[in-house]
Amino acid sequence: MNKEVKMNVYRFDPNKDKEGKFQEFTVPVKEGMVVLDAVHYIENNMDPTLGVRWNCKAARCGSCAAEINGKPSLMCKTRVDSLGDKIHVAPMKAFPIVKDLVTDVSRNWEIARKIPEFTPKKGLKEPWQIAEIDVSRSREFRNCIECFLCQDVCHVIREHDKDYIGPRFMVKAASLDTHPLDSINRSKFLHEEGGAGYCNITKCCQSVCPEHIAITDNAIIPEKESIVDSYYDPVTMLFKKIRGKHGQ
Amino acid sequence: MDSEANFLSTMKKAIPELFEPNWRLWSFLAILIFAIVALFVFPVKEYKGLIDPFYSPTILIVPVVGLFRLTCYAYRKDYYRNIFNHPQSCAADERRDSANRGYSGETTLFAFNNLHRYLLYFGIILLPFFYYDFYVSVTYFGGFVLRFASILILLNAILLTLWVFSCHAFRHVFAGGNVKCYDCALKPNARKGFFNFQSMLNKRHEEWAFISLVFIVLVDLYLRALAAGWPIDFRIFQVI
Amino acid sequence: MTNENYKSIDTDLLIIGAGGSGLRAAVEAINSGVSVTILSKSLLGKAHTVMAEGGIAASLGDVDPEDNWKVHFKDTMVEGVYISDWRLVEKLAKEAPDRVYELERMGALFDRTPEKKIMQRAFGAHTYRRLCHVGDKTGLELLRTLEDKILHSSNVKIMDEVFVTKLIKKNDKVIGAVGLDMKTGEFIAINSKSTIIAGGGCGRIYEVTSNSWESTGDGIALAFDAGAELMDMEMMQFHPTGMVWPPGVRGLLVTEGVRGEGGLLYNTKGERFMLRYSPQKKELDARDVVARAIYNEIQEGRGTEHGGVLLDISYKGKDFIMKKLPGMYMQFKEFAGVDITKEKMEVGPTTHYFMGGIKVDTETNSTNVKGLFAVGEAAAGVHGANRLGGNSLADLLVFGKYVGINASAYAKTANLEKIPEAEIKDEIKRVSEFINPNGINPYSLTEKLRKTMSENVGIVRNEQNMQKALSVILDIKKEYKNIGVGGNLQYNPGLLQCLELHSMLEISELLVRGAIMRKESRGAHYRSDYPKKDKKWLKNIVFKKNEDKVESSTFLPPEMPPYLKEILPEETYE
Repeated sequence: MNKEVKMNVYRFDPNKDKEGKFQEFTVPVKEGMVVLDAVHYIENNMDPTLGVRWNCKAARCGSCAAEINGKPSLMCKTRVDSLGDKIHVAPMKAFPIVKDLVTDVSRNWEIARKIPEFTPKKGLKEPWQIAEIDVSRSREFRNCIECFLCQDVCHVIREHDKDYIGPRFMVKAASLDTHPLDSINRSKFLHEEGGAGYCNITKCCQSVCPEHIAITDNAIIPEKESIVDSYYDPVTMLFKKIRGKHGQ
Repeated sequence: MDSEANFLSTMKKAIPELFEPNWRLWSFLAILIFAIVALFVFPVKEYKGLIDPFYSPTILIVPVVGLFRLTCYAYRKDYYRNIFNHPQSCAADERRDSANRGYSGETTLFAFNNLHRYLLYFGIILLPFFYYDFYVSVTYFGGFVLRFASILILLNAILLTLWVFSCHAFRHVFAGGNVKCYDCALKPNARKGFFNFQSMLNKRHEEWAFISLVFIVLVDLYLRALAAGWPIDFRIFQVI
Repeated sequence: MTNENYKSIDTDLLIIGAGGSGLRAAVEAINSGVSVTILSKSLLGKAHTVMAEGGIAASLGDVDPEDNWKVHFKDTMVEGVYISDWRLVEKLAKEAPDRVYELERMGALFDRTPEKKIMQRAFGAHTYRRLCHVGDKTGLELLRTLEDKILHSSNVKIMDEVFVTKLIKKNDKVIGAVGLDMKTGEFIAINSKSTIIAGGGCGRIYEVTSNSWESTGDGIALAFDAGAELMDMEMMQFHPTGMVWPPGVRGLLVTEGVRGEGGLLYNTKGERFMLRYSPQKKELDARDVVARAIYNEIQEGRGTEHGGVLLDISYKGKDFIMKKLPGMYMQFKEFAGVDITKEKMEVGPTTHYFMGGIKVDTETNSTNVKGLFAVGEAAAGVHGANRLGGNSLADLLVFGKYVGINASAYAKTANLEKIPEAEIKDEIKRVSEFINPNGINPYSLTEKLRKTMSENVGIVRNEQNMQKALSVILDIKKEYKNIGVGGNLQYNPGLLQCLELHSMLEISELLVRGAIMRKESRGAHYRSDYPKKDKKWLKNIVFKKNEDKVESSTFLPPEMPPYLKEILPEETYE
């Protein structure tokens, strides 16, 4: 094992810098050390002003998202010994930078506000009866810790200025749509406002999810298929019309 | 030495797909070319009751099957990434040109991919023919003759079945993907069990899509070899 | 560098803290029609509540029909070793089930029983299976559900990454707060009619802790500085099972759910030692008992080389573990490279929950300071000397609702007052002075404090060590005057550490003083020099700041009415 690691940390202070650059720190390596430990070492011993956002350090809150050697990852979950002796840590590129490794992710709350909220069926007998087999699909999506790595890696958000809500919010919509007692269909929203059509299911989001949610396979594609039901499939559309269950 | 490395890295940035080839995509394209050449220049429809998979039940379905594959989520991912470079690779815009290239995802031209489920319906109708081919192959001589080629034909049918039944559209329309309440079904556990089983296959959809495609060509090549007179028409088991 | 500019905001109700209790209060306040501003030190949705794993204690009786609020009341009072305020505990036990159903109606999706009811799991010292859970991510589900509700409400403003530095009073009433928006480096003055402290606990004052970065007790310290009474400050809960290896995750929680689902504790001799310490409840005894047992085993040389004991769930099989404890599986797999479906986990005690905090009125959750309310881990009284697992989530749902109702009712009767400009400028100046590249590094002082607390005021305490800790704390307080960091006001973690260290010092001092005062052992507070419980101490210690002096007193809730006395077994003393 290396005794030391060269940490190249992205530095940007809006008060004095025009553009950011990497600054190298040499950090001693301890057993089981993660990238966030190394960043903390810098903060505690070398430069207390190094901006980094973190909370739980247990991969449960999703605060410490960054791009480590180019790959969107959680700093608290990426072991230093898995990366060689030179590490680059940069902020998420898809979001406006605040300072150093910290980005402004507030756009996500704006999106969250737009997604039609949980709307239970009317006239349910209380307490509700729900079978365990109806819970498991939604459960996968509810594991999301909102680290926004999927938003960061998504090329639609990262490289194209489109009104696509992003993988996180496709997952959010799916978590509500698969709630057994939810009464509304979010296809209309996803298709007409959410920009679901911009997703070209290239699965980068799925590959970076620290919670191992099958974002594309289990959330986005099923939502796309629901959109097909309402907008592209004449037979299902007709069928739905006859049964009077169309959309919201 | 240095300039060579520079040239290579420039090329890598310019055409990354050449350097990090996606085998599934290139195989698909190679097979497409192969199929066109083979089917129109040197057609082999049948050899002693062994029907070539391209001709089952008729060559006319090849475009439909092609379209089925083209609209499949697995192939979509591959050609969006590797032909259209959207994205070039996850989180890395090496050429720094993506923002300048127009992108409309599946909202305009590629919105036709939303019709995948209709091609799926065709695909489901076609599947029995492949099993029928197996039946024809073992009964060709009268009685029951199991040849090596029959096994290939059966395997081909099974792989195609796995690909079709692991389809995302199948999952949504038939396997219960659009169901919110499994418990409301007549047999809740069976309903959810089927969904879970299909989901398990679905996880490997990309693999099935690739293997089933390659296998068709293998079967075709084998039949061509037989037709060319190679002495490899092994009989494994027979009751006449 | 001083930046005298600030932004001014008016609101009916100010909530400091966006964890479970703060958001639950906000939901209620929004319903009652007042305008709400929520300030959060961390990003929205990242509060320490997401770390709550096991579940919400509520006597639904879905799994064990014999369960009811009376048993829950009894369990909570007994394990709180009789110094919990019975008036709060009664509410908690009676209303938790309704709050759980309410949360379900907001969209939370709990694990289910075969009868399609809410699944409940066993937990330490709960008589029946009582914890409504969502796998081992109950807190995350709870917080997301509340967050979603609030994001879809109007008349609410969420300002995250704002550190509140001071509560402002006028005529003995809190009229607002001054804070620093970390994202922009801009100061904010919030004029509010009523204010709720929902700032959580202070586990970070210890070296080994399961708590997030933000648990530095800022809410409690803010209230104390504003003249609020603090109670049970000596009561810090140590969770029996935290990870011990690798060093980077030392202290990280291993949910009690592991033991709830059947996990067994072994020492390195292969002995299931809980049979010796607690023949009846075994692994599922109260947290203080199990934590001390593990501590003892390690002290007596039957621990692992990393200073832990072994916890085994592997015998339950892979499917069961993946279904019930997926988070734990991933946590051990990814941080320690241990497969808990095959191997034993290495665990040891870790600082977990602060039972003490701001003393509140049992009817309204108001503090002794007008216009100031408190709830959640920042408030005291519910958990007494030892908190039962699952009671914290129940606490924040039940009292979050209460405080939401009462604080908005208060806001409706109160007038909005503007914070005087001079006071804002003073506060801006005070905070800005921490920007001083030649100051003492706040991190080294913080490390010193945390080390001292862990070494001297941990699971087993004694007079000598605590006096030592106290003198170290007072020394650090002196050094604190010369603390400082470089850089500027915008997203400067060093600056934040300076501000937090104030809270941590304040709380540590009171914790130690309280612990020195309480000359007995009760619940989480165990003294090797007074190892027995003492009837004289069947009361709470209260601290209050008067001018710059700290005053202490003791408090005794009114006598319990007969219908509650009936439920509760008489407390016994040796």
